[in-house]
Amino acid sequence: MIELAVAVDPTTFTTAPAMTLWERTIGPLVDLGSDVRSGNTVLFTLLVQGILLGGIYGLVALGLTMIFGVMDVINFAHGAFLAIGMYFSYVVFTSFGLSPLVSLPLAFVALFVLGMAIERATIEPIIDAPAQSQIIITLGLWFIIEALIEIAFSPNPQSIHGSYGSFSIAGISIAEGRFYSLVVAVIAMVATWGFLYYTDMGRMIRGTADNRVGARYVGIDVRKINYTTFGIGAALAGVAGAAITMVRPFDPYTGEIYLINAFIVVVLGGLGSLPGAIVAGLIIGMVEVFGSYYYPRTMYQMLIFLIFIATLLLKPSGLFGSDHHE
Amino acid sequence: MSSPLATLTARYHGLSDGRRGFVRGATGMGLLAALPVIISISVLGVSIDQWISMRMLVLTVIFAFAAQAWNVMSGYTGLFSFGHAVFFGTGAYATQLLLNDFGINPWIGMIVGAIIAMGIGLLIGWLTFRFEVEGHYFALTTFAFAELARHTVNNSPELNGPNGYFLPLPNEYASDYGLLAFQFRSDTEYYYVALAFLALMTLLAWQIKRSWIGLYMFAIREDEQAARSIGVPTYRYKMLGIAISGFFTAWAGAFWSMYFSSIRPGTVFDLFINVEVLLPAVIGGLGTVAGPIVGSFLITPLSEVLRQTIGVPGVDLIIYGILLVLIPIYTPRGIIFWPEKIRGVIRRRRTRGGDTDE
Repeated sequence: MIELAVAVDPTTFTTAPAMTLWERTIGPLVDLGSDVRSGNTVLFTLLVQGILLGGIYGLVALGLTMIFGVMDVINFAHGAFLAIGMYFSYVVFTSFGLSPLVSLPLAFVALFVLGMAIERATIEPIIDAPAQSQIIITLGLWFIIEALIEIAFSPNPQSIHGSYGSFSIAGISIAEGRFYSLVVAVIAMVATWGFLYYTDMGRMIRGTADNRVGARYVGIDVRKINYTTFGIGAALAGVAGAAITMVRPFDPYTGEIYLINAFIVVVLGGLGSLPGAIVAGLIIGMVEVFGSYYYPRTMYQMLIFLIFIATLLLKPSGLFGSDHHE
Repeated sequence: MSSPLATLTARYHGLSDGRRGFVRGATGMGLLAALPVIISISVLGVSIDQWISMRMLVLTVIFAFAAQAWNVMSGYTGLFSFGHAVFFGTGAYATQLLLNDFGINPWIGMIVGAIIAMGIGLLIGWLTFRFEVEGHYFALTTFAFAELARHTVNNSPELNGPNGYFLPLPNEYASDYGLLAFQFRSDTEYYYVALAFLALMTLLAWQIKRSWIGLYMFAIREDEQAARSIGVPTYRYKMLGIAISGFFTAWAGAFWSMYFSSIRPGTVFDLFINVEVLLPAVIGGLGTVAGPIVGSFLITPLSEVLRQTIGVPGVDLIIYGILLVLIPIYTPRGIIFWPEKIRGVIRRRRTRGGDTDE
């Protein structure tokens, strides 16, 4: 998914000369060190790519972290909501020729309504049940949505990102689609932040996230908070999905990859924390871009999971999380 | 025995108490043993094996076994694992690797894999329990370990990377097909091996639940703080749970690898292995002995039958998904409690219809 990554043909795997353990683990770090010392310009290119990718990861994690933080639900259907966003903007693009930038607000509204309806029907009845009920239900939603998309659009990859060109700043070539998606991510983050801090509804949502029981006592309609939060979470996933269509080809399962990375971003940043989602998104984006450049094959994913496990063990509340959530 | 623990025993008696439990369990296992015969009986020229194949039954039993192993940890102590693929894959890989590279008999490989998986389980437990990683965080940590294992194997040429292993012919490492080679010519034989695994695991799960070990585990699930305050060594019993669970889940992986003969990190460490291992237990009834078996016999054949009978690919997943949504909403405790629930509904209706007895 990163243009800089060297494509590896799986058939060459066994015939290629085996790399030593050193070449696969420490060697790349040494290479990175010497590139930093010599001021290799590839670092700037990687840095820019990392910021662009990190913005998308932050945006995907934004909705997940809200649902996680406010409702204490792990939403496995988040990747499916992303997929709805992708195919929504794909349909709008192919049938009306409208850019995903135009269909973004539509995707937001559509998924907001859908998210609220799904929450009322499936999550609300078991909101106080043990965690496994929520996991199973959101898994079920994921299967349903993914299968529906597969039936409607076939499992084959679709693509509209080729309709964007690229431009260069200071010698670094930037794909237009990637740039737009970062702009979308920044706008969505600022808007979400503004909503949570400057509107009554936002204040009530934050209050509920802090203390559900207390919120009920002061007269907040917690049910309404639940479905509104879930709706916004789904809507943000829809926006993220629409943004991803500007970046890369997609299929009904693309959401899964982003879902796993979004979980990592959410935990790394601290659940319910917006700045956490942004910073952690950038960190994961950087690790992926730098890791896939310096490390062979998909070893950067191992790095990402090692960071994830270390965070969970050392500071489960995340970089920006407060401890009272536990 | 202090009184909070005594109340707990009373509460979780369920289907696991005493001789009645054993008789029921043995009857159930006997029925399962007769199943290959039952499905082939034809009544008026119609028999069930048109829809239910032996292969389907093998998968059902092996996932019931894995779910039973999962349940001993997650159902009993309440530590929800979403990463049992790490144990499953370890069992599968150890068996195949030892067999392929060293010619070691798969039964020994299975035990070695199980011990390694137990070690991994203890490592995960040691890391997480010490740092008090709980609830959602525990589920995500275990998930991360499973994904880490998948990517590690994928990137290790020593383990054949993404290509995995392919089983050699049985006469290359044993005299011929048979129990010693862990290779059979028919699915029926695999079925009985899987059933033996399941019977062993069920007996073990039942014994654990009946004993003070189970009592301590359920006390941890109910309220860990309270359990610790009345003297339950919670750390030790959580470690015991994850060790047993990891050990036997690796067996399921070993069986899977011998049955399907080829393994890749993308299959045995896959995200959906995590789901398939826990689903029967959660659907059937978390923390019950019969739950994982009943759950597996409901959902595994169902998904297969749906896939075969419905022409449009994907519709089976939709129905499956709808079930996953509906079952927790209407029976959060699991389908094993359906009879009780139905009886409750009938009783209520009867009292409402008749005069006011109560």
